[in-house]
Amino acid sequence: MPAQAIGQGFELERAGQYEQAAGIYLATLRADPTNLSALLGLERVLRPLNRLGELLPAAQRAAAASPTNAALRGVLLRTYVALNEPDSGRAVALRWAAAAPRDEAPYREWAMALEDAHRHAAARDVLLVGRRALGRPGAFGIELAELSRLSGDWEGAAREWAAALEDAPVQLPNAASALAEAPDAARERIARLLTAGTPSPLTRRLAGELLLGWGQPQRAWAVFEPSVATPSADAAFALRRFADLASARSTPDARRVRALALARYADLTPEPGGAAARARADAARAFIDAGDRAAARAVLERVAQDSSAPADAQRLAQRAVVEALIDGGQLDTAARQLATNGRLSADDRAGLRLRLARARIATGDLDRADSAVARDSSVEGLALQGWIALYRGRLKDAQGLFHAAGPYAGDRHEATERTAMLALLQQVPAESFRELGGALLLLAQGDSLHAVQALRLAAGRLATGAGGGGRPDLLLLAGRVAARLDSAQQQTALALFDEIVHTAGEGAAAPAAELEWARLLERRAQTAEAMRHLEHLILTYPGSAVVPEARRELERAKGAIPKS
Amino acid sequence: MKRRNFLKQLSGYVATGLSGDIAALLAPYRSSPLASLLVPMDDAQSDHLKAYGVTYHVVQAGIKAEWLLNYRGGSFLLPDGPAIRRDAALAGVSVEPVEESRVTAIRGEIEASNMDAVPLEKAPKVAVYVPPNAPPWDDAVTMALQYAGIPFDKVWDFEVLGGKLPGYDWLHLHHEDFTGQYSKFYLIYAGQPWLAEMVRFNADAAKQLGAATVPALKKAVARHIRDYVGNGGFLFAMCTATETIDLALAAERVDIAAAFADGTPMDPEADAKLDWSKTLAFTGAHIEPSPQIASFSDIDGHQVNAPARRQPLGAFKLFNFSAKIDPVPTLLVQNHRQVIPDFYGLTTSFLRSRLKPSDVVLADEEGAPWVKYINGNHGKGTWTFFGGHDPEDQQHQIGDPPTDLSLHPHSPGYRLILNNVLFPAAKKRELKT
Repeated sequence: MPAQAIGQGFELERAGQYEQAAGIYLATLRADPTNLSALLGLERVLRPLNRLGELLPAAQRAAAASPTNAALRGVLLRTYVALNEPDSGRAVALRWAAAAPRDEAPYREWAMALEDAHRHAAARDVLLVGRRALGRPGAFGIELAELSRLSGDWEGAAREWAAALEDAPVQLPNAASALAEAPDAARERIARLLTAGTPSPLTRRLAGELLLGWGQPQRAWAVFEPSVATPSADAAFALRRFADLASARSTPDARRVRALALARYADLTPEPGGAAARARADAARAFIDAGDRAAARAVLERVAQDSSAPADAQRLAQRAVVEALIDGGQLDTAARQLATNGRLSADDRAGLRLRLARARIATGDLDRADSAVARDSSVEGLALQGWIALYRGRLKDAQGLFHAAGPYAGDRHEATERTAMLALLQQVPAESFRELGGALLLLAQGDSLHAVQALRLAAGRLATGAGGGGRPDLLLLAGRVAARLDSAQQQTALALFDEIVHTAGEGAAAPAAELEWARLLERRAQTAEAMRHLEHLILTYPGSAVVPEARRELERAKGAIPKS
Repeated sequence: MKRRNFLKQLSGYVATGLSGDIAALLAPYRSSPLASLLVPMDDAQSDHLKAYGVTYHVVQAGIKAEWLLNYRGGSFLLPDGPAIRRDAALAGVSVEPVEESRVTAIRGEIEASNMDAVPLEKAPKVAVYVPPNAPPWDDAVTMALQYAGIPFDKVWDFEVLGGKLPGYDWLHLHHEDFTGQYSKFYLIYAGQPWLAEMVRFNADAAKQLGAATVPALKKAVARHIRDYVGNGGFLFAMCTATETIDLALAAERVDIAAAFADGTPMDPEADAKLDWSKTLAFTGAHIEPSPQIASFSDIDGHQVNAPARRQPLGAFKLFNFSAKIDPVPTLLVQNHRQVIPDFYGLTTSFLRSRLKPSDVVLADEEGAPWVKYINGNHGKGTWTFFGGHDPEDQQHQIGDPPTDLSLHPHSPGYRLILNNVLFPAAKKRELKT
């Protein structure tokens, strides 16, 4: 049969015309009984056609014609198993194994065929028989691990993977990936099994990766670290992989172990300067993100001393040094660095200036914050100048600067925050209002308790009555802040929401306050009362913009839609 | 109370047996007897799904409502009153107050067109067949009922075999595999804890209920459900339940379950031994003989989990019936959309060639060999089958996040489900043909 005929079979198969493809493959096999391509094609197409029985005579003829051909033996074996003729399958497998006593293939084919037929226990038995027959304790470890996993025996899977890694270290990512899916209940048992006694370096790495993925970074590092104690290219590679895996998580612990891995990687990497310096700079940033400034400084000093470090690593390090100074509260030192350090790029310098200004604001030092960004005409600079003007009580200036900054300064959260503040300021009929600025500064400094008091005092200076000239809006902000604090402050919040709902008239603050009221009650497990408020809101303010939100809250409280 | 009973009593029906809370609502519901509220179900409606809940609550309170078939998308006419307005406002359902003169004009329009007004007189008592440990978010009907605020009880094998079904007017089935093969999920999900739990749960139930195997248990459950319909119950089924309940009924005396389900292979002559006189909707289908293929039979046109046979999704079109002559199918297809995007389920659709001649096709895909939505009678009762899993999740996969119906308040697919819930509330009239 010419080659183009079987090519036509492949085309038909690809087009889903299995009947016609089967005809081509059968015709090919009649002319050439050992044509493996045709036999495999026939195996593929007869299965979905539910005509697998027709494969058997073809497979038998092929195996008889070429008895030493392993691929043909494999087809015959698979066919018997798929047709549920276990004795014939066994006979083929054992003849094959007898003919090739050192070969894993007979047992692997046999087990895979059984597994395809979902006979997991039988497949497992075959692999264990094969392991004994071959006399290799590590043989079929990966297959046995997968079978254990499929049957829910996660500890068995972990044991097999650990054994298999000793023969095939490159399988570490596959082992970690397979075991990572273990259910919560099995994870601790797997971790204990892999870390018991004196585990091999590869087993330690496997356990470390798993623990990292399961959200236990510190324990992961403790298990992993001894496996890279001896310098080698292999250890460096493992460290780099561990650091990359840790970067997928944003907890301080994960950042810290990422930093530790990077710093160790820098020590092991064979090329000082380039990769090592960059790794140290990355490690420093991770230490800073984790809040460990001392460790960050120690790493950065090594970069600074490394004359062979490339320029980008040096720049990264210099920036990290200033960030560490700012985050550590050494603002004057940071300011001096900013002014004098010529190795900082212009972009880094601009970003650090904003960071320094924010740190100044947090300390209440508005003058020096202002001077840090006074000449910055970027949208980020204008936005920050707006906040500084606001904290000084210059409401009109603040509004102008926020408008000038537009929606693209900072991230989406910052843009939303500015828009919300603009909406609040539009309710307050004053160009200048020092008390409000002071209250908002307290809020920015994280002093929520005093901010609540200051906002209430500021509201007290505004007119009462329906509409209220911004008074209910300030009380609403105070209530929102208080609602996030302790139980006593939550009582204050409830009183504030009550006051707004009963005094704010038809304005937007009343329904917004009632929504916050209901949310707070829901958080305090007072669901029935929360639902009463939500119903009152929906019925009393049908035109309010918060009604759709209230309806969703009501549905959630009733359990009519998912909580997520 | 089942359909035959409440139909007998409709003429003399009074709102006896209402709970104290509901009875307390009667006064405000009836405070304005002359005016009415129209619940439009065309594009003017702000929440089509909750409109069914508002109407259900009115009927539940013992107040007569009307379903205006084909009038503005199948609107409801309710008596005006503060309690109803309140319910509607809280649910975000649009209502239009209409004076008596306007109601008269509407009735005139209905009389002159392919429309009809069907009284809704009794809130049906609803049961959903679902394992006790099933999450509420994996069943389109449960979600629809919860979202619309329509109360229901959960029943499972213990309740069905314990004779509890006659206490309900309406029974819903969803993705239960009545062949007892766990939906053949092991082909894809072997080793998953939830599957192991499903197997354990069903095996325990079979043991406790004295069934030799899970397939035997499910066959017994299927027969009880068929008897419930035969005695006047309403059955609504979706997804796998549609196909597998008929397979289980047809296979009363033959093993159609693979060895993994009951320890013995399927009877190789199963096809020939199936008895289609026992089934509700289908006839002449061929059982899928291979345990390796995630399909039950050739009833389903789409075969979503059998890659070589899988068919792409299209859209299905609701049939237009004569409202005055065929009120039941008309009622079941009330919608503000006539063409609806299709959605997969383990059973997505039904091959035309496998339908019994007495089946009424309610929706199909034009030019395709399958239909989507069918209805028929069995004994004194009625069954309705709707293919697919979740009308707003076309490619639903196990583990997908739950559908939040507050994001789909106008879902035409979910409307079809809720049509069925109110169907048993409709007063039966004699056909004019």
